[in-house]
Amino acid sequence: MNFELLAQLTIAGIVLGSFYALLGVSFGLVYQTSKIFHLANAIPFAAGGYGAVWSAKVLHLPLLPAILFGLLMAVVFGLLILFLGYFPVMRRNGALLSLFLVSLGITVAFPNLLQIVFGTENLPLWTYDSQGELVSAFENRVFSSGFLTITLIDVLKVVFAWTLIVAVVLFVKRTRSGRSITALRTNPEMATAVGINKKRVYVLVFALGSFLAGVAGLFVTLEFVASPVMALQWTIVGFLAVVFGGIGSLVGTAFGGLVWGLLSSLSALFMPVNYSPIVVFVSLFIILLIRPQGLFGKVAV
Amino acid sequence: MGYYAQIAINILILMSLAVSLNLLLGYAGRVSMAQDVLFGIGAFTAARLVLPVADAEGVVAASGINYGFGWHWFPATVVAIAVTFLAALIISLPAIRLIKGEYLILLTLAFQLGGEQILTVWQGFTGGPFGVAGIPPLKIGETSFSTLREAGTILYAVLMLVVTIVVILVAWGLGESPFGRLLKTIRGNETLLPSLGKNPVRPEMLAFGITAAIAGGIGALFAFSQGAMVPGNFSLDLSILIISVVVLGGTGNIMGTVLGAIVLGGLEPVLRQVLGDEGIPWQRVIYGAALVLMMILRPAGLIPEGSLRRVKKTKPRVSLSVGTENGQGIQFGKFTNKRTQSSQEDVDDVLAITDISKSFGGLSAVGGASFSLKKGQITALIGPNGAGKTTIFNMVTGTLGCDSGSVTLNGQELTGMKPYEIERLGIARSFQDVRLNDNMTVLDNVAVAVPNQPGENVSNLILHPIRSRKAENSVELIALQCLNVLGVANSADQLVKNLSYGDQKLVAIARLLATDCDVLLLDEPTSGVDPGSVNLVIEGVSKLRDLGKTVCLVEHSVHFVERLADHAVFLDQGVVIAQGTVAELVSSDELTELYFGN
Repeated sequence: MNFELLAQLTIAGIVLGSFYALLGVSFGLVYQTSKIFHLANAIPFAAGGYGAVWSAKVLHLPLLPAILFGLLMAVVFGLLILFLGYFPVMRRNGALLSLFLVSLGITVAFPNLLQIVFGTENLPLWTYDSQGELVSAFENRVFSSGFLTITLIDVLKVVFAWTLIVAVVLFVKRTRSGRSITALRTNPEMATAVGINKKRVYVLVFALGSFLAGVAGLFVTLEFVASPVMALQWTIVGFLAVVFGGIGSLVGTAFGGLVWGLLSSLSALFMPVNYSPIVVFVSLFIILLIRPQGLFGKVAV
Repeated sequence: MGYYAQIAINILILMSLAVSLNLLLGYAGRVSMAQDVLFGIGAFTAARLVLPVADAEGVVAASGINYGFGWHWFPATVVAIAVTFLAALIISLPAIRLIKGEYLILLTLAFQLGGEQILTVWQGFTGGPFGVAGIPPLKIGETSFSTLREAGTILYAVLMLVVTIVVILVAWGLGESPFGRLLKTIRGNETLLPSLGKNPVRPEMLAFGITAAIAGGIGALFAFSQGAMVPGNFSLDLSILIISVVVLGGTGNIMGTVLGAIVLGGLEPVLRQVLGDEGIPWQRVIYGAALVLMMILRPAGLIPEGSLRRVKKTKPRVSLSVGTENGQGIQFGKFTNKRTQSSQEDVDDVLAITDISKSFGGLSAVGGASFSLKKGQITALIGPNGAGKTTIFNMVTGTLGCDSGSVTLNGQELTGMKPYEIERLGIARSFQDVRLNDNMTVLDNVAVAVPNQPGENVSNLILHPIRSRKAENSVELIALQCLNVLGVANSADQLVKNLSYGDQKLVAIARLLATDCDVLLLDEPTSGVDPGSVNLVIEGVSKLRDLGKTVCLVEHSVHFVERLADHAVFLDQGVVIAQGTVAELVSSDELTELYFGN
């Protein structure tokens, strides 16, 4: 076996896996609490990227404020989906299937709206420099040491992903509002009986989940571009991380994402990159068949 | 003419794909996100099979992608159908362990995305991103359906119309059959069907298989009619369009889907006329928005399920059940719950529960409870909330495993068995909530419980349609007689949602009776029932005893228990505190205090 390739693919797998973990926690927060198959998590993801690109170009915001604006848009759009899409259906006692169908409708309509408003072309994140010229806002740098190569954005991804994941896990475990999330997830009836406001918890998890999705969307925009179809595959990645890691816990989801990132990166040793969606399907299939509670999950009671 | 014929073909294809999906989405309440890629797999399978065999090896090497096996179109279509059917069965394999809807969503979604990728990269099968061309047109007798001439396109449109009508009839026939009734019972209630002794996995997988098979067959026709196609034709967006059509038209209603396909399928050419290529994103915005708005404003769709129901004449049917008010006349015949009769027929304790316990985390819900049910008697489980009464029902019927202890029916051990296996041995239960399907008739809600129905088997429906129909008449008669015992036969043809809650409770008891089980467990039969109907429930439960059933009920109303129960078991915090006749228990000051508090 080629050791250098193995080491490089492992590094790439950790970078990819950290990103998957971030997406998994974003999806998992919403899914575990509300049980909604929130495919529309793609919208805050795209809103993050487009928000930054638009505010830099039209409002002439520098890089950091543009990023913050993108994150704001991610949260705003996540909450819009909750208030205009899910809450009205919940008020009618709609089943989970109805909520999923709402999610599906939003997922298909939104990228096409983006396309109508911003055009089909890929939009890089460009900001105005001191001469008033539009230039690429972020120069990626490559670090090489011997046979290993890693880029600045890779490092940022790993650092931000795990910092945010740890922050969210601590928030859920340690704070009062965080514990209300766990309470609602594990025993909805009891939680509402002791006075936890279900609506407020939903707002909280959707805001947090959308924020994380926005971070992920910004990373993709910084590294590549914003495009109308940028988000859906990454949302599905998020759910796969949840299934891989086990539906019960955020920590399990994060590690599920990491393991899965490593797996898909290392699968390049054996087969062409084109085939990776097939690897995804097959491994998902096998996991569900032999270990439906996920790699790190406990058997449901 | 040719232009309009092509539009008609497109709409008819969308219609057939959506009608077949409705069987899964509308009836069983399960979503497949892979309808379009299955359609594509059918299309490429058929195309590759009918493409001409290369005559010389040199030609294959030069432009090998447009050569195949030179089959006749008919066997090629059959193979396309078989391939997609098998693909669906394999995709749904994990569902055997996970009877949860979102896993099918996830698996089919992953299959759709993985499948799109396979179609794009597998050159030998699909010709890669540029697809295949030169697929020979259909030929029936001497008539060639070549689309090079306008007449060919029109012929295809006519053919698609015929095929679509067949698909509609098949979907309708299956949907309204006992098989469809099983599917509808699965929808929204995963635990109900096992409690009626039926395994939900098989009908569910079969429904998905049939849906996929129809998509595969339509895909084959699509390939013949187009002559050329690329893998990009089969995308997730189109899978979602198909779902939108079903939802817009109305789930569980085939006619609604037909309307939905005309509306959404007709949108595309109109938008193309007005906006040109700009129209494509608008079309997707519109069908996405339609999906969201329908779920918020009119979740049942344009034509709600059941609204086109043929109104049957109830009166003459009720007369069929006259004389069965006390239940003695119900003839289950071959629809009996065939269980191995125990050799110890004279055992007094039909169901023996010995020292069972169950804890959740650190919390003990049932801690070593023992009691037994006497043959032909009514036993009441009483005790404060949280005493573990419903938990015991769940343990006896297998929905919850026991941590320790044993449950035996006529001497046979039940622990470790699946819920539907336990029901088949002769124990049926009701739930605190009625768990009826609101959009099904009262009669259908009861009929689904009748055991051993040939019509629940798709192969019987196809191979023995007349026998299945006759059997269905007998099943309906049994259901009607069960309803009559509870005094609600007059409502047989009403939708359940139009009944009062008290009547719904009576229907749920009638459904228990229709299982033909000897041991019936009733979970709070009077909870939520208006005082006027309580007497009807009491009367109904005592009729169950008159029929020789062994009954166990969880009940809060002491009044009810006093009037009915032969025997009572008092539980508190998962332990049996006392048992005896109701009079004995009621006279005990200690228990009265425990039960009513201070």
